Amino acid sequence: MPKFNDFVMTVKNDLLDFAKENLDEYKDEILKDGNAFIDKAKNDLTRWTDGLAAGALSKTDFEFLLKGKKDLAEMEALKQLGLSKIRITKITNGIIDVVIGSAIKTFL
Amino acid sequence: MKVNKINLKLLSVLFVISYLVFNSCTSISVFSPEAYKQAVDLKVESIELMSFATSPYDDYEEDVTHLKTELTKAFEFSKGRPDNEISARQWEILIDEKGNLLGGFLKRWETEDTLSEMFVTEMQTLVSDAFDTIIGLESGKIDPSELK
Repeated sequence: MPKFNDFVMTVKNDLLDFAKENLDEYKDEILKDGNAFIDKAKNDLTRWTDGLAAGALSKTDFEFLLKGKKDLAEMEALKQLGLSKIRITKITNGIIDVVIGSAIKTFL
Repeated sequence: MKVNKINLKLLSVLFVISYLVFNSCTSISVFSPEAYKQAVDLKVESIELMSFATSPYDDYEEDVTHLKTELTKAFEFSKGRPDNEISARQWEILIDEKGNLLGGFLKRWETEDTLSEMFVTEMQTLVSDAFDTIIGLESGKIDPSELK
């Protein structure tokens, strides 16, 4: 009968492969979302400043838009927080699959 | 004796798995097609109605009242779902009359009667992006069938 240590070794190796695949994917996703938000904020600010100078936006409009961007940033942060929780759930489920798969490989 | 030792260790592993399953299922709500559709429909309706904010508020008062009711329903639906605090908070920010997204925009339209074209256009983009954060989170949630 295979030893429990074999099982632990199999789990370790399988988990390492699992982590490599998933963490790279999530890291890229988070960086992409963050950079897109910053780029958009820069463009918005330039356009609003021009609008303010040209008289197309009042000072009140300008302030409202800036505060709106802050509210939007909070909503975006909440989205990222939620997606992180979902990722944790998916990773946890993945770990469970890896452990079960390793157990089957070792003991059956 | 050796077999019993292995069984004990296997039991420990199963306990850890059960713990992980329990925790992973309770962290955030699962995907709701109804919530997703509600957010998409309200995004379209809101952006459409906002485009009329360069005209007098009185001409659209009924439409605004109707939209506000639908937005409140969406918020209450979100608040009532288990483990859905994050999405509910997103709705709360979006519709807050004292805030600076859709709720604040509609309030300002009511107070000032008409709003400038550039302000309306820029706010449409912000509100559209705000709805996308709600839609994006909902669509990222795990389908209940994946947990079975």
